[in-house]
Formats: sequence, structure tokens, C-alpha cells
Amino acid sequence: MKTREGNEQLVVLTDAVLITCIVQRGEAEEAVQAARRAGAQGATIFYARGSGVRQKHLGILGVTVSAEKEVIYIVAASDQADRIFDKIFTAAKLDTPGMGMIYMTPLEKMATYVPHEIIKRFAQD
Amino acid sequence: MFRGTKKRFNTRDMPKKIRYGDYLGQVRVRQVALSYNQVTAYDAQHRRRPRLRPRDFYRLVAPYLSVRIIEQFRAVIPVALFLALFQGLALQSHVAGASGIAVGIGVVMLGLMLFMEGLKHGLMPFSENIGHLLPARSSLASVLAVAFILGVAATFAEPAIGALRAAGSLTDKDQAPLLYYLLNNNPEAVVYAVAGSVGLAVLVSMLRFMWGWNLKWLLLAVAGPCLALTGYMALDPRLSPIIGLAWDCGAITTGPVTVPVVLALGIGVSAAAGRENNTLDGFGIVTLASLFPPLAVMSLGLYLDTTGLPADLGGRAAVETSSSIVLDGITAALRAILPLTLLLWLVQRYSLREPIERRNLILYGITLCVLGMAAFNIGLAEGLNPLGAQVGDQLSSAFHPQDEAALYPYWLGLGLALLFALCLGFGATLAEPALNALGVTVQNLTDGALRKDTLVYAVAVGVGLGTVLGVVKIVFQMPLAWLLLPTYGVALLLTLFASEEYVNLAWDSAGVTTGPVTVPLVLAMGLGLGRAVDAQEGFGILAMASVGPVISVLVVSLWMRVREWFYRFDFGRTA
Repeated sequence: MKTREGNEQLVVLTDAVLITCIVQRGEAEEAVQAARRAGAQGATIFYARGSGVRQKHLGILGVTVSAEKEVIYIVAASDQADRIFDKIFTAAKLDTPGMGMIYMTPLEKMATYVPHEIIKRFAQD
Repeated sequence: MFRGTKKRFNTRDMPKKIRYGDYLGQVRVRQVALSYNQVTAYDAQHRRRPRLRPRDFYRLVAPYLSVRIIEQFRAVIPVALFLALFQGLALQSHVAGASGIAVGIGVVMLGLMLFMEGLKHGLMPFSENIGHLLPARSSLASVLAVAFILGVAATFAEPAIGALRAAGSLTDKDQAPLLYYLLNNNPEAVVYAVAGSVGLAVLVSMLRFMWGWNLKWLLLAVAGPCLALTGYMALDPRLSPIIGLAWDCGAITTGPVTVPVVLALGIGVSAAAGRENNTLDGFGIVTLASLFPPLAVMSLGLYLDTTGLPADLGGRAAVETSSSIVLDGITAALRAILPLTLLLWLVQRYSLREPIERRNLILYGITLCVLGMAAFNIGLAEGLNPLGAQVGDQLSSAFHPQDEAALYPYWLGLGLALLFALCLGFGATLAEPALNALGVTVQNLTDGALRKDTLVYAVAVGVGLGTVLGVVKIVFQMPLAWLLLPTYGVALLLTLFASEEYVNLAWDSAGVTTGPVTVPLVLAMGLGLGRAVDAQEGFGILAMASVGPVISVLVVSLWMRVREWFYRFDFGRTA
């Protein structure tokens, strides 16, 4: 983007939070739906493999937990993040052992497409 | 990822302001902070399992079970429904003992489910592990020895091997003395021959993986003599009845135990051999395992023929029916799984000197295998076998010329019977769980050039047409060689022209499709039909059902190649 002086200008967003949630393969969709309802604007899903200590402690019931996992990345505004966090936790039933985990990390900054009128309104100085 | 902003979060537009944080404070779940350090410290001290709430138990177990039940449900129910409907509508008779059969089918589904799961957790990790480690730690000779023994043991474990014996009850002592002798007086010899040849096939496959042999030439080298022997035996009236048995043996052996165990071993070995072009490695074992047994059984027949049969064949061996089918099923399952497990364990323990990881899980898997196979045996005896046999018995009433009560004019009835065979082969194949897995693998391996549906339908059509040929053979009592020689000849000819990977694929899909659903149904139908039309023997349908898909898949692959060539030509002109 060009400023009036002609320099390159990049709009970065602050107050962003990364929510990462690890669930069993095939379970991500439900968690993402819940996150969207809570205001998340998008999600990225990775396929991964792994198992955790809670899963191993299940003993023979551990066979019900697949080592194939899905990792969900959601970048959210920090105001919304807690709510999204809660909703995913409930939707993915993370209070049951072996179901996965969720964590939240502050992001220094992020950048993506931001609509013009918003930039005009907020980033004048 | 994040496109635009949504208006409802733009609090600026709202007339009255509530701080968003305050709003969230009202609606969100209350969080209690706990240091992870404390949790880990606690875990280190108390190594206790978490106490599960009933809810947790449900959440863990329900999805696990439902996925697996639905899988088997999809496999078995459509075929069973088709059989029952056909019997009701076209043959206009009721399914005798319908409730018993329904229960039996339910038990089959349960058994398949348990068995598959058990294989996944119990036997497959074992053999994959052995396949990975053995080539690195042992000499070539011991790798081959283990491969051989594993092939033999897996064949003994195969449930359908027992079905051969029941199949023998049809054989006529005077018309086919040699076959009668093999099935009734000396069934062990057949089983040993088959098991030994499967072991040999696995051994050859291991060599092939290690030295990178082409399957195409190996196939020609094996199938050529096989066909030559068939041709020779067809000329001798005493030997010819064995042909059907021999070729069916090939189809039977590549069943639910052998295929996964042997494939797992093969995948391990081919990974350890470290060839780069590993896309379609692992394929090919099944093919050899279904071509060696016919050769072995026919050789056995030749040998017995030259040494001469005992003058008195004795009465029909009483078919062993112990008091309880349930007990039979359980003992058969134990006899099948335990030796195989013991063998795998011995290799792992004493040849690899590798401790067994996750012992509980493997124990669980093996228990499931045994339970599943027991249930499968019981369900087969109570459900699928009677259903298939009933339909087979009554199928002939549609066209039987001597039968006064024939339902339809001869040709119409015969057409109906053939249509039925086509649908049965087609439907039962679509139901085979292994075929779907193969389809997905192939779609990935060929980067979508060969779609899963294309493969699955090609195979199913092939099996369907093969089944029709098999029924034709039984109804008209044709010598099987007349059908076997041309079809396998065509298959070999196509093999010559097809590319290596499709050769692998086509021949393997033939072995894979004749699995736990198709074999009992088709076998029972063939025997019922054979009994009804007074055939010498009811073998041969399975053999035809396994050559069908080879041809159809090869034709599809050639067609794809022609199309590709044509496109290129077309592009060349327009560009």
C-alpha cells in the first residue's frame, strides 16, 4: 500500500491471539464450528500424529483414542479469544481424557487483508 | 484466513456502549488457574489411572464402536437384503429360518468388526515389526525361513480352509474318485499343500522385494506352468475334476488372516530393503499367494494319481458336527489364531531379541481376534452359509427343465439365474472391506489418475461376470478348463501389454476381493446349485470370480492408456 509520500506501508494487527487445539482425526470440524459461532473468522487444520500421557493412562480404553490427530489453528482478537477458547473446549469435549488439549498464545503481530475503510478509519496517524 | 470484519463486532456502530470484555465476563465459563508444574509433580508421584465418569466412558467408546459397526453394517446388510429379496420376489419362496439367519448375519458383522480391530492392534503390529527388523538383524536365510513359516501358519489360520471340507460333501465317489479321495479321506494333504505353497509364495515375494524383480515376468513364469498343468489335467478324465478344487484353493487362501499379516510383513521388508520406487511395493504378494496353491494342489493330484488310490475309498466321511456350533466356532478360532501368535512371538523374542512393546494392547488385539473369528465362524454357520445355500438350491427351480414346477420358461429362468449371479458377485464385492481400502490406496498412489470408484466398480463388474461364468460352468456341467484356459490366457496376454504397476494392481485386486463376505456366499451358492443340477462337483466359481477382476482392471488400465495417447495426439494437432 502506498502512503501519500509514496512509501510502502504494511498494516499489522496487534492484540491478536493464537488458539491451538489438538483433537482426534475427524473431530476438528465440530470444534471449528463452535469457534465460528463464538466469533472466530477462520481456522486452519493440520493433520498430525501423536499421543499424550492422559491418553496412555487410559489403559485398554486407550485403543478408542486415535493417534491420528488434527491440529486447529485459530487466530482471534484478544477480546474474543477467551470465549472461543471456552466454546472449543466444550465442543471438543476436552474434559474427557484422551480427547486432546487446547492452548492460547499471545501473538506479537499478524498481518492479512484488512478492508480499506477500516484502515482509513483507524490507522490515520 | 481472516477475510474482512463482521459488523456485529464493530461496537462503534452501536448506540450504547458495553465493553466487550465485560460482556464476555458475564457469559463465559469460569476459569480456574492451576499450575502445570503442580500437575506434573502430582503425576510423577501418583501413577494412577484417571477415574472415568460414565460420561467420559461413553464419549470414548461410542464413536469408536459406531464407526466400526457402521463399516461392517454397510458391508454385510446390502448383500443379505439382496439375497432375501431375490429369494422372495424372483423365486417366490420364503427364507426358511429367517430369524436364525438374521441373528447369524448380525453375529457375522460383530465377528468381522472384532476381528478387524484385533488384527489392527494385535497381529499386524507384530508382523510389521518383524518385517522391519528382521532383514537388518538376520541373515537372508532366516528372513526367508520366517517368511515361509509365517505364510504357512497364516494359511492354517484361514477360516475358509475349513469350508473346503464341507464343499467335498457333494462329490460323487464314482465320477470323480480322486477328488473324492482328496476331500474325504485325505483333506489334510490338501491343506498342507495349500499352506506350503502359500509359504513358498511369501518367500518368493520377499526375494522379489529384496532384489526388485518384476512382477510381470514372475507372473508369466508362474501362471504359464499353472495353465499348462491345467491343460494337461483337463485331458485326463481322472484328473480333471481336481482342477476346480485347485483353483478355488487359490482364491480361498487369500483371506482375512493371510492378506493383512503377509502384507504387513511385505511392507516392512520392502521398506527395509529401501528401494526408492516404493509406490506400489507391498503389492504382488497376494497374487503369488493365490497362484501357487493351484499349482501345488494339482501337483498333489498328479502325485496321488501316479501312486494309485487305495482300492476301497470307504464310506463318506461323516461330516463332523459336534453338538454345539458355538463350541466348534470357538475351538476353530483358537486353533487358528494361537499358533500364529505364538510363532510371531517366538520370532520377536528369540530371533529379534526385541522386547514386546505395549503388551496389553497386543494382548487385547489378539483376544479380539479370537473372539471375532469365533463369532464370525458361528455367524457363518448360522447366517450366511444357510442363506447362500438356500438361494443356490432354489435358484435351479427358476429354470430346471425336468422340474414340473419350474417357475419360468427355461431361457428366461436361466437368464434370471445368471442375472442373480452377476448381482451377487457385484454386490458382495462392493461389500468387501479390503477392496475399499485398496481403492483409497490406489487413488493416492496414482495421484488420482485411477479414481477409487473406477477401480472398485471395475473389480466388482469383473467379479460379477466371473461369477456368471462359474454358474454357467455348473449349470451346463462344462469342464472348468474350457473356461479357465481362455480367461487366464486373456489375462496373461493383457498382462504382457499393461504397465508394471497396473499388473500389480489388477492381480492383487483379484486376490483381495475374494474375501470374507464373497467366499462363503459364492461357495454356498455354487454348491447348492451344483447339488440341484446333479453336477459332479460345485467348484470353480471362485476361480472364475478371481480371474474376472484381473481382466476388467487390466482392460480399464489399457483403456486409460489409449485415452491418454489419444488426448496427446489430439493436443498435438490443435496446439
